[in-house]
Amino acid sequence: MGSTRAAEPFQPEGVVWTAVSPRLASARRLSGCVPLLVLALGAAVPALVVPWAPLWILAALFAALAGWVFWLAPRQAAAWGYAERADDLLIRSGILVRRVVVVPYGRMQFVDVEAGPVDRMFGIAQVQLHTASPGTDAAIPGLAPDEAARLRDRLASRGQAQLAGL
Amino acid sequence: VTPAGDPADGQWQRVHPLTPAVKSWQALVVVLFLLAQDVGQGALRGDVPGGDGLPLDGLGVGVIAGGGVLLVIGLALAVGFAVLSWRMTRYRLTDEALELHHGVLSRKQRAARLDRLQAVDVVQPLVARIFGLARLNLEVAGAGDSKITLAYLGHDRATSLRAHLLARAAGVTYETAEAPQAPEHAVFELPLRRLLGSLLLSGPAAFAALLVTALVVGLAASVATGEALGGFAAAGLPGVLAVGGMLWGRFTKGFGFRVSTGPDGIRLRHGLLEQRSQTVPPGRVQAVRLRQPLLWRPVDWWQVQVNVAGYGGAGDAGGESETTLLPVADRREALTVLGMVVPDLGVSPPEQPFAVIEAALSGAGGAAGFVTSPPAARRLDPISWRHNGYRATEQVLLIRRGRLSRELDVVPHARTQSLGVRQGPWQRRLGLASFAVHSTTGPVTPVVPHLASSEAARLLDEQAARSRAARLAAGPERWMDHAATGQGTLEQPPVGPVTAASVPGAAPPAAAS
Repeated sequence: MGSTRAAEPFQPEGVVWTAVSPRLASARRLSGCVPLLVLALGAAVPALVVPWAPLWILAALFAALAGWVFWLAPRQAAAWGYAERADDLLIRSGILVRRVVVVPYGRMQFVDVEAGPVDRMFGIAQVQLHTASPGTDAAIPGLAPDEAARLRDRLASRGQAQLAGL
Repeated sequence: VTPAGDPADGQWQRVHPLTPAVKSWQALVVVLFLLAQDVGQGALRGDVPGGDGLPLDGLGVGVIAGGGVLLVIGLALAVGFAVLSWRMTRYRLTDEALELHHGVLSRKQRAARLDRLQAVDVVQPLVARIFGLARLNLEVAGAGDSKITLAYLGHDRATSLRAHLLARAAGVTYETAEAPQAPEHAVFELPLRRLLGSLLLSGPAAFAALLVTALVVGLAASVATGEALGGFAAAGLPGVLAVGGMLWGRFTKGFGFRVSTGPDGIRLRHGLLEQRSQTVPPGRVQAVRLRQPLLWRPVDWWQVQVNVAGYGGAGDAGGESETTLLPVADRREALTVLGMVVPDLGVSPPEQPFAVIEAALSGAGGAAGFVTSPPAARRLDPISWRHNGYRATEQVLLIRRGRLSRELDVVPHARTQSLGVRQGPWQRRLGLASFAVHSTTGPVTPVVPHLASSEAARLLDEQAARSRAARLAAGPERWMDHAATGQGTLEQPPVGPVTAASVPGAAPPAAAS
């Protein structure tokens, strides 16, 4: 409490966060809103035929959820960030529940790069780091493919240089 | 393939010829049972003249005979497959690795590097014990199912192979055909009375007692009022049975629990029906948890659990029994065993290690350098906010949690995988955050809940630096190599000028692949 050196765990001193691509927001909007809108339509169409109030409420609920995802996606995308330090990689994420993870390069077991169909449409990819711990939740979504490849190679080479046993 | 040579001459070996019988015993029992039932029923029907059963002649005999033939065919198939599977299974031990080839339809080969060995278990299920056989499990660190299982070997052969594996993994060189058995001395033996006591003082037992009381009261009420409450009793009975089964499982696993120690690590032996003998070499324990449930507080008993890479992975049935170092022990015994798996708590001389560990087990507030949740955390955790906290020594991170039931997690800095800080919306409002150390798969998940967020930030920063320094100074994978160079990890290793390259064996050859 008295410490001024790093008063905020999500903004450590001397760390410059690299933001992920804003295209992540578009991808999340598409993959989040479209299924919800389809569900809303699925409830609204029969409601036109059979005038039954609960169906309208259901449709409105799905539409509201879609709107919420639409509103949330860019904010979530802006909350993602990563920073390469000399010995470890920092990843932060989340708005409501905020997280920061520190993964030492020497602890990295392997790196995954993944791009689903929607991700590919928007030209982004996800890099995920794995350690020997299942608790390490270190994924960076929304990277441009060349940045993802650069990060992967960089992490792999740093991991090898600093390799330690378990 | 040599049937019974030296287990470590680098030749391909077969598992024990009785393996098919032991592996297919369940099928055998089922078939025999069905057969007996079939014949018995048939005999019964035949014995009752003029009964309403099928007459023994004609259709009845046909059905019985047909069923019998099918059963015999099924049995023959099962046994045939087991024999074929035995024929296709072979293993060999080289200087570098243990290799296993197995599988009938799809052939599988697996080789495990010995310098990556995490633990060796010799397991004897009841049926295997009757035949004097045992299963040998070699754990290497890997995600999911990463063990090599040799089933079944003669018990003597399994223990001899274990000695070979441990000696080679340790980097001990020997010329004899038989690997030197490491000397060991007993540390702990669980008295039967305490095991029973610990089961009586457990949550499931308390639940069962409540349930039985409710049943008795219900039945008495039904007798008194004359109303039928049979349904009530029927609803409660399955619960009692389930709890009973749970307690029985714990009893058989904890029965005869013994711990001993030697240069090749810690040995655990336990089990009533299935006997398990585990060896965990030094430095393979990733994290330790000492637990004291509420009901154990008057007698001051503790349970000790560990994370060992490879133990308790996906699809491991024996997860809980593998990772329990002590099912129930008094404080002194628990601390002795903690000292064996974490030899150096990193408490410097002016401070007493005893005082620190006492504070860690049953202290509160800031005694012995503990950092606890600030008063703001009272709103989120009114009971134990003054008890939840951490203390970082030079070698380990001590995390204390709980006021009613107590927990202490010990994570050596050199074994930290990654770190995390998490802040939910309520925590954010109160200026709090939770700090987590990520360890390998297992029962120990070290978390410090509700620290002041500035404190969480400081800990994140400092812990990253501490674990980096400890990693660079960490010993080699082959623990006897290390002992030979005379730089014991029991002493404070030099931090700073030591680099990974200057520590022998710090970069094992596996790094190249």
